[in-house]
Amino acid sequence: MKNSDAGDGSTADESTTESDPRPDGGVAPDDGVAYLDAEVNIFSPSTPFMRDHLRIIWSGFVAWLLIVFGPVSLTPIIPGVMTAPIPVIGFPLHYFLVGIGAPVGALLLSIWYARKRDALDEEYGISHETEPEPETEVATAADGGTAE
Amino acid sequence: MSGHLLQSGLLPEGLEISFKLIPGIMVTAMLLLFLAVGYVFKVADTEGMWVAGRSIGNVENGMAIGANWMSAASYLGMAATIALFGFYGLAFVVGWSTGYFILLIFMAAQMRRFGKYTAPDFVGDRFNSDGARAMAAVTTFLIGFVYAIGQARGMGLVGLYIFGDIGIPGLSGYQSMVVLMMAITVGYLTLSGMLGATKNMTVQFVILIVAFLAGLYAVGYTQGYSTVLPQLEYGRLIGALSAEFSEPFTTESYYTWIATAFTLVVGTCGLPHVLVRFYTVESERTARWSTVWGLFFICLLYLSAPAFAAFGTDLYAKEIGAVYGDPGMSSAAGDVIVVLATQLAGLPEWFVGLVASGGIAAAIATTAGLFIAGSSAISHDIYKGLINPDATQRQQVLVGRLSIVALGVITTLAALDPAAPIAALVTYAFSLAGSVLFPMFFLGLWWENTNRQGALAGMSTGLVIWLVPMINEVVPSYGILAGAAGSDGVLSAALAQWLPAIGSALVAAPVVFVVTIAVSLVTDEPPLETKRMVRQCHSPEPMGQQQTAEEVVSGAETPGDD
Repeated sequence: MKNSDAGDGSTADESTTESDPRPDGGVAPDDGVAYLDAEVNIFSPSTPFMRDHLRIIWSGFVAWLLIVFGPVSLTPIIPGVMTAPIPVIGFPLHYFLVGIGAPVGALLLSIWYARKRDALDEEYGISHETEPEPETEVATAADGGTAE
Repeated sequence: MSGHLLQSGLLPEGLEISFKLIPGIMVTAMLLLFLAVGYVFKVADTEGMWVAGRSIGNVENGMAIGANWMSAASYLGMAATIALFGFYGLAFVVGWSTGYFILLIFMAAQMRRFGKYTAPDFVGDRFNSDGARAMAAVTTFLIGFVYAIGQARGMGLVGLYIFGDIGIPGLSGYQSMVVLMMAITVGYLTLSGMLGATKNMTVQFVILIVAFLAGLYAVGYTQGYSTVLPQLEYGRLIGALSAEFSEPFTTESYYTWIATAFTLVVGTCGLPHVLVRFYTVESERTARWSTVWGLFFICLLYLSAPAFAAFGTDLYAKEIGAVYGDPGMSSAAGDVIVVLATQLAGLPEWFVGLVASGGIAAAIATTAGLFIAGSSAISHDIYKGLINPDATQRQQVLVGRLSIVALGVITTLAALDPAAPIAALVTYAFSLAGSVLFPMFFLGLWWENTNRQGALAGMSTGLVIWLVPMINEVVPSYGILAGAAGSDGVLSAALAQWLPAIGSALVAAPVVFVVTIAVSLVTDEPPLETKRMVRQCHSPEPMGQQQTAEEVVSGAETPGDD
C-alpha cells in the first residue's frame, strides 16, 4: 500500500505526482485524504484542510499588515491628520494607533486565529484530547519527575 | 559627587548609587529563591534538562514565554528607547509584540508537530545536513551571546542602585556590578537544568510583572499623573512633554523605523529560546493557545512601558534637567529610567528596590533561557552531533555546563564597555535570528522542496549580511578598526543608513529567501522521507504528546526502503 509508491527510492521525480487520489487504506482519517502524500507549498495548498487553513492564515496576515504597518506608514503621508491629538484621551493619533493599537490589535487577531483554528479542527473532526492512557497522570506526576 | 568614576562612562546621572540594605536583602532573597527552586527541580539527565518533559499547559507556558521574553530589554530598555528616542521607541513595542502573531499563524503549531528539541535539530533534520545543523548551532550560540550582552548591561546598571560601587579593583562601579551579576547568573544556571528554569520562569514572571506594574501605578498615583489606567492616562501628559517625545521621525527616519520593526518581528520568529517553548507543550493546540497567552502577558508590560517612559521623562525634566538636546539624558540614565522614575517620585527605598529587583529578575530569566539554548546547541548539536557521536549523557551535560560558563565569561567581557543601549544590543541578536534562522524555519515548514543546498547557501548569505553592518557600526566601538571609523564611530555612513545593524533583517531576510529558493530550485529535490516529514507538520491528524513528525513518517513505512 503506502510503501508501493513511497519506498521505491525514486525520490527526485516523486513530488510532481502530488495529490494522488488513490484510496490507500490505513492512514486516511474521516476525510479520506492521505496527508503524507500531499505536497506542501504555501502558495498551492494540496488538501482541503490546508486550503481552508491557509485562507484563515492569509486573511489574518493581511489584517496584521494593515494594523501594524498602516498607521506608521500613513504618518509621513498625511502628518497633519495623524499627529492631531485625540480629544479626551489626549494622545496624538499616530502615537495611539502605533503604541496601543498595534499590540492590542495583534493580541485580538491572535485570539481570533486560535478560535478559528479550533473551529477548523472541529470541522475536520480533530481532537487534541490526549487519550486517557498514561497521559492523564503525567500532568501531575511529571512535576515531580517521571521516572523514565 | 560622581567624580570617582574610573573608566567606563556608564553612570546613570541622578540615580542614588550606594549600598542599600533592604533592597539588597530583597534581591538576595529573590535570587536565593530562584536557586532553591532551581535546586529542587534539578535534573541530571539531558531529557529533563532541555524540554522539561513536555508537560506544560497553556497558561503556564504562556507565562514562561512571557518571562523568557521580558528581558532587561523589555523591562528597562523599552521605556529607555521611548524616553530617549520618542516615537522611534514604539518600533520596539510593535516589533516585540506583534511578531508573536506571525509566529502563531505560520510556525507555532507546525514546529510543535515537527517536534525537535532545538533550532539546530530542526535545521539539521529538516535539511539532512550536519553542516546546516552546525551553522544553526553556531548561530544559536551567537544569538545567546549578543542578546545576553544587553542583559548584562541592564543587570550592571540596576545593580548599582542596590549594591552601590562594590569596587572590584581595576573596574568601575558598573563593571564590578556586571561581573558580580553574571557570576550569580552562571552559578544559578549551572546548577539547574531547564525543568528548574521553566518552573522558575513562572515565578519570575509574576515577580516581574507585579514589580513593574506596582512601580508604574505608584509613580502615576503619587505624582498625580494617573489613577486606575496609567496605560491610557499618560496620553494627556504627552501634550505637556517636549515635542521630541511624540513627534514622528525626528530621531530616526521612516526607513529605520520600518527596518527596526520588521527585524524585531522576524527575529521573534527565529529566536531559538522562544521556539524551544513550543516543544514543552502537550499538543499543537496548546502550542497555539500558549502563544496567545504569551502575547497577552507580554502586552501587559508593553502597554505600560510607554506610560512609565512618559512619567520618567517628565520627572527627569523637573528634577534633573532637560531630557533632549545637549547634554540631555544619558543612555545609562535612560536604561534605568524605570528605577529612576520611582526614585525621583520620592517613593520609599524598599519600593524602589522592588522595582529594581524586577529588572534583575527580567535579566536573569532571559539570560537563563538564552544560555540553555546556546549551551545545548554546543553540547547536543556540535559535540554529540559532530565531534563525539557516542557521547554519554554525562559527557553531554558536562559540555553543556562548560559552554554555559564560557558564554558567561565572554558576555561579561563584552558587557564591560557595551557599544549601545540595552534595546539596541538585544536587537542585534534579533537581526541575526531574523536573517539566518527565520527563513530556514519558514521555508522549511512551508515549502517541502527547500533542500540542503538551498539551506546552506541561504544561511551563509544571512550570516554575511548580518556581519557587514555589525563590523561597520558595532565592532569599531570595541577599539577594533576604530582607526578606520569616522568621527561618528562608523566605517561607512551610507551603509549604516541603508543597512543599519539594528534593522539589517529588512534587507537580509528577503535576500536569504530568494537565495534559498533559487538554489533549491536548481539543485535536486530533498528525499521523499523529508518531504513527508514536512507534510506531517501540516496534516490535521492529531499526534501523541511525545511524537515527532519523523517518528510518524518512519513508523508508517518501517520496513520499506534500504
